[in-house]
Amino acid sequence: MTIHIVEDDPGVSDALALLLASIGHETATYPDAESFFEVNPPGDRDTVIVDLGLPGLTGIQVIRWVKRLKHQPRVIAISGQSSRAIDRLLDGETADVLLRKPLQEETLLRHL
Amino acid sequence: MSSGPFTMREDHSESLSTDASVSKARLHSVLDTAVDGIVVMDDRARIILYNKACERLFGYSAEEVRGRNVKMLMPEDYARRHDGYVKHYLDTGERRIIGIGREVRARHRDGTEFPIELSVGEAHTPEGRQFIGIMRDIRARKAVEKRLAQAQAQLVNMTRINALDEMGAAIAHELNQPLTAIMLYLQAIKRKTDNINSLDDTFASVIEKTVKEAERASQIIQRMRQFVEKRDPERKPVDVSELLKECLELASLGDASQEIELSLEVEDDLPMLHADPVQIQQVVVNLMRNAMEAVKCASYRAVKVSANKTDTHLVIAVRDSGPGVPPELVPDLFKPFSGSKRRGLGLGLAISKSLAQNHGGDLIVEPGGEQGGAVFNLKLPLLAAGEAQPAERAETI
Repeated sequence: MTIHIVEDDPGVSDALALLLASIGHETATYPDAESFFEVNPPGDRDTVIVDLGLPGLTGIQVIRWVKRLKHQPRVIAISGQSSRAIDRLLDGETADVLLRKPLQEETLLRHL
Repeated sequence: MSSGPFTMREDHSESLSTDASVSKARLHSVLDTAVDGIVVMDDRARIILYNKACERLFGYSAEEVRGRNVKMLMPEDYARRHDGYVKHYLDTGERRIIGIGREVRARHRDGTEFPIELSVGEAHTPEGRQFIGIMRDIRARKAVEKRLAQAQAQLVNMTRINALDEMGAAIAHELNQPLTAIMLYLQAIKRKTDNINSLDDTFASVIEKTVKEAERASQIIQRMRQFVEKRDPERKPVDVSELLKECLELASLGDASQEIELSLEVEDDLPMLHADPVQIQQVVVNLMRNAMEAVKCASYRAVKVSANKTDTHLVIAVRDSGPGVPPELVPDLFKPFSGSKRRGLGLGLAISKSLAQNHGGDLIVEPGGEQGGAVFNLKLPLLAAGEAQPAERAETI
């Protein structure tokens, strides 16, 4: 049971991994969608935390890719954008959970 | 003709118009054809002649005013001083209005005052000195000037508000990342220290307080974001052609001397647009001003605005004859604070794009270069007949 973190901001990515590790989760971080796609696909007991505003391939492409997997992990989308910008980024797609930055530990843990 | 540009006597000496009555009839038809009001008064300010246009302008008939003092056509404050003005001129020959002309107020029979442009000439006739006043009703022009001034003030105001919004959103977004990292780091360390019993109380309480402060900062950002996001466009049906005409007028204000050819081409039978007219106008005027700036140094200076429809969208294009957008500027063109202009914050295009997107549309650039200038395309969705506005989005967590 791994939590995959796809986030381009190194501070956010590292802090997220550190916090989740401190409560006993196994984590893996990826600076972009491309490097996430290179590893073995996640399993249905995993969780993918993905930032919507990734450079290159977007967060929404990660969500679409994950949704086509045979064994689907849970998807938590995170974004620091305005709600309108998030609407545009999502482009009709849905994540299991959408959290807006700044993230609170409490809200995040509720969805894990 | 004998003396002065406008003799009032009946002239029998001229050979061309042998018949005096022909000459007189011709004069009257000229006077009555004039669109401007024409009044002739003698040196005691009594009305001798009053044309048809005056009847429309003032509401009195020629019979009613003939022989009466011209003051009756003036508002109280002018009327009080008029005799003095005439006397001053007759005594000293000092010209205050004759041959100069100015904007003054006139008074209709019903008491309403209205602005006119008055030019006054003088004629020396065998019947004495006479004064000719030509009056143009400038109410319509005044109304247009006023409307344009209001529209521009509104535009400036909107630009300020939007600049604040955009800046707020940009700051909120930029600060979000480090703040998120700080909060998560602190929460991780707090979690760790919770399990250490031997830890100094001060240490634990400082971490606790730091978490609280970071949360406070986060709440400020959230409030700021909510404040910025709640401003939705105030939509109403908009006549695109009318709106764009006004944009041209606004964009050319203050740039009259620059000799830039501004043109407008609007496709026939465009449907009404459902949009916030002030915001759309703001975007178009902003794009036009950028375009006018871009062609300043070009040999051929032209800015063309056009409007066309596709199946789903209305596209307003602003095209210039400048050198195009340099390729290195294209990727960051719409980002806030990325402008290359020394004046301003570089928020114009960022705001324009977000206004377009708030309308469910977008703002796209064709950078041009080599072959031609840049084209900015403002795309706005057209509602199909009977279609309602998109529903408010469900609130996210």
